[in-house]
Amino acid sequence: MAKRRTLGMPRPLFIGILFLFVLLLIVGFLVGPMGRSIFGDLGLPWWLSLPHPEFKLPAETVFHLFGFPIANSIIGAWITMVVLICLSYIITRRMRIVPGRLQSAFELLLGWLYDLCRTVAGEENGRRFFPIVTTIFLFVAFNAWLSLIPGFGSIFVTSVEGEHVHLLRGANTDINMPLALALISFVFVEYFGLKSLGFCYLGKFLNVGQFFRSLGQVVKGRLRAGLGGLFTGFIHIFVGLLEALSEMVRIISFTFRLFGNMTAGEILLLIAAFLIPWVFALPFYSLELLVGFVQALIFGGLTLVFLTLAVAHHGEESS
Amino acid sequence: MSRWTAALQLVGVGFFIGGSIVLGVVAGLWLDSRLNTSPALGIVGLFLGIVVAFYGVYRMLIPLMRNRKNGEQD
Repeated sequence: MAKRRTLGMPRPLFIGILFLFVLLLIVGFLVGPMGRSIFGDLGLPWWLSLPHPEFKLPAETVFHLFGFPIANSIIGAWITMVVLICLSYIITRRMRIVPGRLQSAFELLLGWLYDLCRTVAGEENGRRFFPIVTTIFLFVAFNAWLSLIPGFGSIFVTSVEGEHVHLLRGANTDINMPLALALISFVFVEYFGLKSLGFCYLGKFLNVGQFFRSLGQVVKGRLRAGLGGLFTGFIHIFVGLLEALSEMVRIISFTFRLFGNMTAGEILLLIAAFLIPWVFALPFYSLELLVGFVQALIFGGLTLVFLTLAVAHHGEESS
Repeated sequence: MSRWTAALQLVGVGFFIGGSIVLGVVAGLWLDSRLNTSPALGIVGLFLGIVVAFYGVYRMLIPLMRNRKNGEQD
């Protein structure tokens, strides 16, 4: 008779793990601040007591390099880069027609992103935008996932100022990193807009054609047509101004969306792990995995949409 | 317009509204503190932010609505 299996493991092992899980949950509840406020102090040993969680919004400086302060978030960003570079080296070193596990996982991911670019931006533009969108996506996603690795935020060092600071921190929880990504996205959008439409691209923001045409009509003596056109010309100029302002606002909304989501996730995990230690934070971990993926998709995808809008011709984009 | 484009644009709408109003107010208040015209420019900034928010949302949503209408005709 075959052994009964649950979730791919023998039944007794499964029950044992489940039992351990519930035990940890109960003990965690008793040890944590929630249990203490309900049952009072149970006289637990000192090593079960928890330090109060602290979260510093600005990233802490760990050391100085050539006069530049090196914050812990930039170290997190460097580690993300190193991981991405090593991964891509390992995967592309021995490409096979029948891919292994790692290669097929990345082929799936990149293939999906490539299809996304092509469906949104079209065949030719999709191929041009794919590197930018994918780089942003991979960086944001791996950054979020790396900072979820247990132990990432619990390495402490003594900084040059003599303070106890975290050595590593997710780069996107420091507002400078989302701002930098948003600026990169902004620069690429303007660059591609200018490159494919040339001078016409600026006409979207500085829409003075109608105004001057009507001014010419007024000078020539056709007052009635000219004055009506002047009014429309003013509206065109105002709309162009709004267009330019909304371009600026994109940077702000990009920045705060990523920063807010990542920081909130970090604080949520910290508080969940503090209130009921150990296993209670697990569902939130899976939630944060999802949030990291979704934020990366939104950042990359919105960049893709704005790139597509920027290269579309004036009449074409609204049709 | 694919479904992905529509979904991504809708995701952008909420933060766009917040961002434009915050940017307008902050810029207005900063100019106020520079030029000692409090609170006039702050209010102007607020209104400009709201106008930009509505205009931006209109621009983002109009292709989607047109797309829907076309879909119904088909």
